[in-house]
Amino acid sequence: MKKYFQLHFKLINRRLIDFGLPLIVGYILLLLVFYFGSEYLFSKTEFAKYIYGFVALGFVSRLSEAKRNDFIKSIFGTSAFLKIRMLENLIYAFPFALFLIYKEEFVMSFLLMVSSLLLVIFNFNVNLNFTIPTPFGKKPFEFVTGFRKTFFIFPFAYLLTYAAIDVNNFNLGIFSLLLIGLICLSYYIKPENEYYVWNYSLTPKDFLIEKLKIGLLYYTALSIPILIALGIFFYNEIGILLVFFIISYAYIIAIILAKYSAFPDEMSLPQGILIALSFMFPPILIGLIPYFYSLSVKRLTTLLNDSN
Amino acid sequence: MIQIKNLSKSFGKNQVLKNIDLDFKKGKVYGIVGENGAGKTTLFRCIAGLEKYQGEVSSTINPLKNHLGLLLTEPFIFSKITGKEYIRLLVNARKVEITDLEERNVFDLPLNQYASTYSTGMKKKLALTAILLQQNDLFILDEPFNGVDIQSNQLITEIIHKLKSLDKLVILSSHIFSTLAETCDEIYLMKDGEIIKKVMQEDFKKLEQEMKSFTIGNKLEKLGL
Repeated sequence: MKKYFQLHFKLINRRLIDFGLPLIVGYILLLLVFYFGSEYLFSKTEFAKYIYGFVALGFVSRLSEAKRNDFIKSIFGTSAFLKIRMLENLIYAFPFALFLIYKEEFVMSFLLMVSSLLLVIFNFNVNLNFTIPTPFGKKPFEFVTGFRKTFFIFPFAYLLTYAAIDVNNFNLGIFSLLLIGLICLSYYIKPENEYYVWNYSLTPKDFLIEKLKIGLLYYTALSIPILIALGIFFYNEIGILLVFFIISYAYIIAIILAKYSAFPDEMSLPQGILIALSFMFPPILIGLIPYFYSLSVKRLTTLLNDSN
Repeated sequence: MIQIKNLSKSFGKNQVLKNIDLDFKKGKVYGIVGENGAGKTTLFRCIAGLEKYQGEVSSTINPLKNHLGLLLTEPFIFSKITGKEYIRLLVNARKVEITDLEERNVFDLPLNQYASTYSTGMKKKLALTAILLQQNDLFILDEPFNGVDIQSNQLITEIIHKLKSLDKLVILSSHIFSTLAETCDEIYLMKDGEIIKKVMQEDFKKLEQEMKSFTIGNKLEKLGL
């Protein structure tokens, strides 16, 4: 069991090294990003503790992948497996719980640790025996696969909008809109296998335009119910609402271009930092979007423009 | 249709393709055989433009990649995407409209199920269906028979014959010699990144025997069974 964790420690170190960072810098940076990211969230919304718990459990639940668990069980046996999984979940949840304690959210911190332990017993990552329907099947793949992985969040977001209208809280309504935006952004974080880009008989520019069109269209489809509802019930705030909606558009564009600016590799650390900075200071996007666009065109040229 | 001149490819210091010259003509089926690691897949990836290389790959069709159906040894399938959506993704990429997908599902695949739950053979058949529906002019099939059931193997063989009769170019690799003998006009033997032999149809039997005696040799005795 000790060796298992030693191996994982090595794997994390390797990932940091692959990222091009000296280990000590990597760990310090991780710590800083975590601390300031958490502080930022808590400074922005009164619902931060719930979002925080939700995000933490999202991280922890990634360890519950069925094949991964079967593999660990087959090697260590059931009893050691349970110990490993509990320890893993606690290690993952610990920084979040600690920050919640720092913020004097003791109950939430306790609930988070308990829920993390319970996640070991209740494996939610079950392969359902049916295909989750999606309205995005005509233009695969990002929204098709993404929607199926995160479908349960959308009713929650719409419910938040309803609650926002019910308690007359415009900020909560904006949060529900941004939640949809954040989920859609997550569909574009990982690069696809290069085969799927290679298949397109489009120039890099046309390819990017196609991707942006689909991304914006489908994001609009998911967020339009919230936009309409908030527009009707908070008519006086429609200007602010539209500003947030347009900013979400800008982030969708930025993340798609950021992905292809590093393609076929994953986004590099500097690119990640630029995106993170844009969340703190959105006007950066005005420069960032054209920058990522030109990088993306360069990156895709070899793959899409046949030199033969 | 495709001319390859002096093609070389290295991964770091490891040269995996060495000065390859090949000439592929339309309406013909070419086989590439060789041991694992001989360089077949890298050669295919270079032709497709998925790898950078030294040398020249030229074609009468430009751009080549937009008319090329590439079947990978292990097709990469997204999780949470159905067979139907996988096909749609690939045909959309080539701006081809398919309306009668169910009818053209010749391998009887469960197209409404997640493709990631398919077996190895089913994934291969799905990927093959998709590139066939892309309406390509040439095809590179990297081990199309691998993991596929006998009935589908027969169907794939017939599909290759049909492609040939339609004047399409097919380049394929396989570790099953009988399937190559049944489909190919010419076979190229690769070893350590080089084409070491070109064999015409009339000499296929001889090649098979040569390969068998070379591959097996006295290895069984070494096992001491």
